[in-house]
Amino acid sequence: MNKDQIETRLATEFGSAVEILKTRFPEPMIYVATDKYIEICRFLRDDPYLAFEFLFSMAGVHYPDRFEVVIHLSSSKHIHQLVVKAKLPPENPKIPTLSGIWEAANWYEREAAELFGIVFEGHPDPRPLLLYDDWNYGYPMRKGWTGPDFIPMPDKSKGADE
Amino acid sequence: MGIIEKAPLYVEKIPGGGIVITSAEGLLNWSRASSLWYLLFGLACCAIEMMATGASRYDFDRLGMFFRASPRQADLMMVCGTVTHKMAKRIKILYDQMADPKYVLAMGGCACDGGPFYYDCYSVLKGVDKIIPVDVYIPGCPPRPESLLQGALKVREKIYKEKIKDFAGDIPPSQT
Repeated sequence: MNKDQIETRLATEFGSAVEILKTRFPEPMIYVATDKYIEICRFLRDDPYLAFEFLFSMAGVHYPDRFEVVIHLSSSKHIHQLVVKAKLPPENPKIPTLSGIWEAANWYEREAAELFGIVFEGHPDPRPLLLYDDWNYGYPMRKGWTGPDFIPMPDKSKGADE
Repeated sequence: MGIIEKAPLYVEKIPGGGIVITSAEGLLNWSRASSLWYLLFGLACCAIEMMATGASRYDFDRLGMFFRASPRQADLMMVCGTVTHKMAKRIKILYDQMADPKYVLAMGGCACDGGPFYYDCYSVLKGVDKIIPVDVYIPGCPPRPESLLQGALKVREKIYKEKIKDFAGDIPPSQT
């Protein structure tokens, strides 16, 4: 399916729960409502016309007013890709886990939980993944984070350029 | 280069053989500098240059240098690459396991001072000299094998300048 066909199928199936983004990229990009996140993702995997059986990337993003979870899906059956985003509130960001749908989401979610503090509800193994064992300095990928041995980039606009 | 003429030897030719006269200090330094086995610490892209230096085109072997996979057999620790905080503890443990005399060579910008990860980075140690003493720094990102060879020669120069009375400085006072 091409970009328009995927967008049309998702829009007819879920209506206002899916917001389609207009981008210049070849793959379609959608926002999904958080309460229908699991339902939509299961549909994306099981629908024979979409058949996104592979989650190849997952990330957290910290915007000034919200968190986002971005997942990249691909289908080796139909050779198409899709980007799914979900908005989370800035305080107590929570979202259900995808590790029951795509096994690959397990470690991606552990990474996002550790670096951004996003809670993935129902995760089967919510241990820290990357940071060292006695880490207790918070979530380092959040904006404005500081910690030991952290040197922020000096503001070059305030003079002293090279 | 410089291997034979730096050996502080005096060879007296007599019929049927020869006598070699040297100082104990010179012999120690010469033997230490001539078989500088290194603990390979390939942490990032600098490791590729280190492998190239160890392979046949540049060839560490001609300086008597071999890689050792165990710190207990190594004299020189080459820190080649980005030292993260997670790795820093392991480096310290391995450095403590090396037998004296031991030397450290920091290769590349990351091992010298954090390099490209100096600003806005939560995970990278700002230079391996924060945890262990470093003898020779090699700048570059990554340095070419020629630079690494020169760094190895600088370590040898340092070894040649050592005095026996300074060797005791490595032993803690409780053991002397």
